[in-house]
Amino acid sequence: MNHKEYLWLETRQFQSRIKQPLQGIVNFLLVTAAFLICWRFFMDPRGTMRWYTPQYGYMYIRWILIVAIWQAYIFNFWPLRYSFMEKTHPLIKGAVLIGINFAVVGFMIWVFYYNFLGRLAIPYMSWPVLTSLGMTEFFAREYSSLALLMMAAIASWLSPIWPVCFENYPWDKLERPSRGLTVWAWTFFLATYIFLILMHPHYNVLFYPWQKFAAAFPWWQNFAHTLSGNFNVGWVMCGTISVWILEVTFERYPFCLIKKQPLRGIAGFFGVLIFALVMFVTFNFLQDLAWGPAVEGAKRLYAPDWRYLHSGELACMLLIPVLVLGFYFDNWPRKFAPSVNIAVRCLIILVSAAVLHYLYYKFSPPLLGTQPGYSHPQQFPMAPVILWVTIMLYHNWFMDLYPGKKLTSREQYLLAPDLVVNKA
Amino acid sequence: MTDISRRDFLKGLAVGGTLGYFAMAGVSSTVMKNAFLPPPKVGAVEIGECKSVKATVISETSWFNNSLLMGDMQKAGGLLVNQYEIPWTNTGVQEGWKGDNAGGYSTLIEVEQLDGKKRKFLLDTGWNVDWTDTCFQREGIDKMLSNKEIEFLFVTHEHFDHYWGVEATLKYYPDIPVIVPKGFYPEGFELLKGAEFTKCHLANKVPHTGPLEVRDSSKVHPVIPGVASITFDVPIITRVFGEQALVFNVKDKGLVVITGCCHMGIITLMEYVRETIKGGDNIYAIQGGLHISPFEDWDPQYDDLVLAIHKYGIQKMGCNHCTGYVTAEKMIAVNLPLVRGTAQNKSKRDIYLGNGDFLMI
Repeated sequence: MNHKEYLWLETRQFQSRIKQPLQGIVNFLLVTAAFLICWRFFMDPRGTMRWYTPQYGYMYIRWILIVAIWQAYIFNFWPLRYSFMEKTHPLIKGAVLIGINFAVVGFMIWVFYYNFLGRLAIPYMSWPVLTSLGMTEFFAREYSSLALLMMAAIASWLSPIWPVCFENYPWDKLERPSRGLTVWAWTFFLATYIFLILMHPHYNVLFYPWQKFAAAFPWWQNFAHTLSGNFNVGWVMCGTISVWILEVTFERYPFCLIKKQPLRGIAGFFGVLIFALVMFVTFNFLQDLAWGPAVEGAKRLYAPDWRYLHSGELACMLLIPVLVLGFYFDNWPRKFAPSVNIAVRCLIILVSAAVLHYLYYKFSPPLLGTQPGYSHPQQFPMAPVILWVTIMLYHNWFMDLYPGKKLTSREQYLLAPDLVVNKA
Repeated sequence: MTDISRRDFLKGLAVGGTLGYFAMAGVSSTVMKNAFLPPPKVGAVEIGECKSVKATVISETSWFNNSLLMGDMQKAGGLLVNQYEIPWTNTGVQEGWKGDNAGGYSTLIEVEQLDGKKRKFLLDTGWNVDWTDTCFQREGIDKMLSNKEIEFLFVTHEHFDHYWGVEATLKYYPDIPVIVPKGFYPEGFELLKGAEFTKCHLANKVPHTGPLEVRDSSKVHPVIPGVASITFDVPIITRVFGEQALVFNVKDKGLVVITGCCHMGIITLMEYVRETIKGGDNIYAIQGGLHISPFEDWDPQYDDLVLAIHKYGIQKMGCNHCTGYVTAEKMIAVNLPLVRGTAQNKSKRDIYLGNGDFLMI
């Protein structure tokens, strides 16, 4: 076939099993219940596995997210056949895709990082290596987990940019698996490169004595007033959330109006970056208003690095209503002009995120086993929020929003007149 | 959706970029901050004056083997697990106290008032009862408690190493007034009454019979002339909440801050003192655990602290316990005025004040 291979996700057509808004409510409640069960089993400090130590569990959460993005957006569900994706029951399909997801996560962490890259290149990417060098096992695991979770965080920002903004340009004509492998290699290379700039200097000053011959000094110290890489964590998270706001809430508007690549991709990339930086600075300022200015060297609420981190956390809290509205309530409203639709959605999302922020800090101690208070050096609201997000993505991408919705034929989409023109 | 011309696109890009830049620059500018943020406060609460204060380290050795302690927490599920649910290693520890890894933190505070009268308080009461009792006997605390020279037990926070050895105090003075910060969990109050917690190998066989005061963060609490306590609503690892510290106003010297672990952060504490207590712009000395690298771990945020603490003009730093040796070395490297100790009574190094050492202001 000599035409563009569309993302499977773009070509899905749904029928409703239940009318809205009940459909959205049922699906949302089911997903939330699944999140709470998963959190209790894997993460909760009172639960079974207790991986939320916190970095160790948080790392797994970050990795299941990026691997899900790779599966759906980069590899377009390769190596599974489209017929499998269309005809298999959503629950079985979900189990297979989640199984693949977990296997890839296990491979990346335990084989690629812990036993390949960690042993041959960068020791802090492998806790067994750090432990063998004499570090207390607990901190060896926490430090390496932070590195790996940041690797995944940066990849979560850059990987979707290629399909969302650049529409996989210049490899958009390639088919599976060539396109997926190429875009994956390119975005993973970019993520590694950016990691070296944004997080490697953090590890210069994390170890004692400072590793000044092995890594650059944190270049952000003079203007960020901290040596901590949390400065970068904060704005990268705002960037990641911005990509998904562009994809889900804005439905790629206004960049979708630009037909030519790479102009559209470049405009989208920088548009997202500017949006992210405005969001980051605004959240920092809101915190100054709420608690007073940050104080250099302070801890907890007043620590500059925690403020940056919390800006990222606030951005994450925006993502929940973005996805809930987009996935479960058909991105309501849709009847106005695109700009009006988007404005109404943004208003709903802002109000919902503020409500979520309040509810999270009020109910997370009994529900999630966290400790009361906003700033705690050992807990990250991003962890539960991203797990919740990932389960929504599993539900949508891997299970076709079952049981609220039912998948109909993909061919209907591919044969639609406007696409036939594009395919010619 | 309609197509867009290159000209329209560039116009849109220019307008959007310019607005974005000004939005960003606007909210982050000094002008905006000055317009919206209140000016810094100046401390106004008068706490009186005292002649001198002496802090004697009864025990700063909270545990004897750091790897074992971290291993206990790792096996239990990390740093957020409830401390009463962790089976702490209490046998077979070679460098421990009679095989137990638990030690404890406790400090004797002696204040001389302007009229020459001397007052004594106990700040924290250790973890391992036998170890704490041995330290008490070494410093004569047992007798001071028995004859009620020590006026009250000031518990900085509910952590195992600061509070769980409460039996060692109650054994000599069961009705001693006890002051705890707001945030104590029910288990903490039950322990005071004589409860046993088998999972974490904890028991108090001497129920408390004296007054108990819970202090909140709404105000500066006067203690005696020249001494006050302040409380912080701060979440802490192993499911602990709230910590309090003592502030002294020593005549002709300035303010002295004495902490247990200082989970709120020493700079946060000093900023609060500066904004709240009269004379807060002259903090002469600090003493106690600074909770910077308690487990010999590190975070670049701690470097921020080490590099920023100079600005506060402290004359003497009598830190120990959860300050961490790495921190002490870094502080010495940037010429902070750390008071050295004598490395005796199982304190491992003389880099800071150890067991039996004291700071006199």
